[in-house]
Amino acid sequence: MESAATRLWLMRTTYVMLALVIFFFRLLPLDMTPPLWAGPDVLLALTFAWALRRPEYVPVLSVGLVMLLADLLFQRPPGLWAALAVVATGMMKSRARGLRDQTFAMEWLSVGIMIVGLVLGYRLIMSLSMVPQAPIGLTTIRAVMTVLIYPVVVAGSVFVFDVRKSTPGEVDATGKTP
Amino acid sequence: MSRDRNRSDEYVRPLGRLLTAVLVLCLIGIFLLWRIDSPRVERFRAQVVDRVVPSFDWAMAPVTAVVNVGRDFQSYRQIVQQNRQLRRELQQMKAWKEAALQLEQENARLLDLNKVRLDPRLTHVTGVVMADSGSPFRQSLLLNVGARDGIKDGWATMDGIGLVGRISGVGRNTSRVILLTDSSSRVPAIVQPSGQTTIVQGNNTMAPPLAFLENPDDVRAGDRVVSSGDGGIFPAGLLIGQVAKSPEGQLRVRLAADYERLEFLRVLRTPGLERITAPVSLVAPRDQTTNSAPDGGEGGQ
Repeated sequence: MESAATRLWLMRTTYVMLALVIFFFRLLPLDMTPPLWAGPDVLLALTFAWALRRPEYVPVLSVGLVMLLADLLFQRPPGLWAALAVVATGMMKSRARGLRDQTFAMEWLSVGIMIVGLVLGYRLIMSLSMVPQAPIGLTTIRAVMTVLIYPVVVAGSVFVFDVRKSTPGEVDATGKTP
Repeated sequence: MSRDRNRSDEYVRPLGRLLTAVLVLCLIGIFLLWRIDSPRVERFRAQVVDRVVPSFDWAMAPVTAVVNVGRDFQSYRQIVQQNRQLRRELQQMKAWKEAALQLEQENARLLDLNKVRLDPRLTHVTGVVMADSGSPFRQSLLLNVGARDGIKDGWATMDGIGLVGRISGVGRNTSRVILLTDSSSRVPAIVQPSGQTTIVQGNNTMAPPLAFLENPDDVRAGDRVVSSGDGGIFPAGLLIGQVAKSPEGQLRVRLAADYERLEFLRVLRTPGLERITAPVSLVAPRDQTTNSAPDGGEGGQ
């Protein structure tokens, strides 16, 4: 049986590794034609799913660095999406306790609202700072796809990586009740 | 229980909050820095990409190959149809070949008469496509040649037939090609045979529209579009594609390069291009550079 601290660091590493795997598949040079639709932002869904289940597995530093790397790799304005994602993940973590006893539908709803808010805020700041923007159609498709993929990501996290909501009274590796 | 939690959080929470705040401020600082001094941050970005992407390369090549084998296998199912179609096309092509041979001989004679030498400065470096932009919003790709091979910003990139894009962002071992389809791509071009100048304006679709045509009526579907070299930031005479008219009457370019299979690309060595070093120094007459500012960071990459 692995100790709680080992498991904590193992899962923190797993999060970063999963992010790298996601980057890898997005960078594969398969098709250079401009797409008619946009795929989901799996990394964001994964971050939210883990932040709601085990906030200690996605510390703010690793979320920030991973998102900044994504900004740099995918030709986005560096830093902005990362900053918003860190703030959103923090808000998700603070809601984790309240959502623990709720149904999955409630959780999905609040994640959906958060994703839409995040995208709107991102576009707002981009237009305020007069950065040329991606077409709104593609951005909408991407947000909707991210919300739709969320249950799949949650299922994967729970059944493959055993990232479940903590039961009341459970003590995590840092010695506090989550 | 709740009081218990509060006590243990008393020290941890503020520290975490402070860390979050510092991190968010740093990230926003990076964004502001990028907004103010885009070229510098974009150089940093090229260096990061240069470090990260080659480390994926060992796995990327086999995975891409496997996916492509799968796609090829799918196309085997339609092989009978394709074969028939190819035979038909081959017949047509034979006729064209005759015509081409005659033209080639004629051309050689004429060149000989004129003692024309094709531009000897245009040599090329061939690179392999390593990765794409990874984002549906940006159309670019990463080549495995970089500053080490003498690649410079602004050089043109072609596949065997047509123009693909221009180099923008050079790392030591990699360089990024902004494709003609990217929404920040603008290439001055000329439509033949009417000789009208235009700008091929990428807009994230497969067929970029032609902008700023003086007489759209003189341009017909099927006309050739080649780069014009206006402004000295791009070599002239490279084939871009053919004009196509959309049902709404908009003129677009059907690109000559095969965007579905970009594997090996030629980067044309073009010495003597105008270099854009700082965001303010646009390619324009000296006295005008000060009162016209570029439109944004995406152009400055």
